[in-house]
Amino acid sequence: MAERYSSFEVGGRRWLWQRITAAFLVAVLAFHFFLLHFVNHADEVTFAMSQARMQELTYFSLMILFLLTATFHGVNGVYNALVNQGISGTRKTAVKAVLGVASAVLIVQGVRTALAWAGGVPI
Amino acid sequence: MSQSYDRGLVEDFGRWREFSAGMWAWIFHKFTGWVLVGYLFTHIAVLSTALQSPEAYTTTIQSLEGLLVVRILEVGLLAVAVFHILNGLRLLFVDLGLGLGSQDRSFYASLLLTGAIVVASVPTFLAGVFG
Repeated sequence: MAERYSSFEVGGRRWLWQRITAAFLVAVLAFHFFLLHFVNHADEVTFAMSQARMQELTYFSLMILFLLTATFHGVNGVYNALVNQGISGTRKTAVKAVLGVASAVLIVQGVRTALAWAGGVPI
Repeated sequence: MSQSYDRGLVEDFGRWREFSAGMWAWIFHKFTGWVLVGYLFTHIAVLSTALQSPEAYTTTIQSLEGLLVVRILEVGLLAVAVFHILNGLRLLFVDLGLGLGSQDRSFYASLLLTGAIVVASVPTFLAGVFG
């Protein structure tokens, strides 16, 4: 039987979620770059322009979902890269904890910023 | 029954001349992934100036965008993001078992397309920085 090379656990769902978020991010990251560099130019950015976009519920919710999926995909990717390098035991547990805390901080900070632009959830 | 493939130690860069297209794709995907996740944290930190005041945010972004080095780094970021997207699509197809026989050519296509998109984007990314 062939040796198994994957960094993911057998039967785990993280492999699938890494692919699902990848498919979503391919489209949203391309949209993000296009909108903020080609439609709007980066050097013309102002708080008011960002605020106008964020006050639209569709855009606001897309950006929150973008933050959540990018954080999961990025942090899960880092974790798998480290597992692939052979970390195990206490180091693996410590890495998992540090990455978990870093993700939580990033998401909280990102959501706070989005809310500051939108002036609350734009419902 | 699936076949195993002894890729050798990727950490042994002394044998980089023996690396196949798939190995380079793996290395580039890891490298661009690390850059992107690092940038994600930096990006949110910079955007967080919006929590201070609208003026702090506008001033921070416009000051950064006025620096040539930042614009050049943004071109680099675009290159990294476009490659990660295109190679990511290639990986999704590989995972689905589609185009396995062309996985080396699709890697070269990802590189070429990344180069073309980045070169075509340079004027837009550098617009206005020279005064």
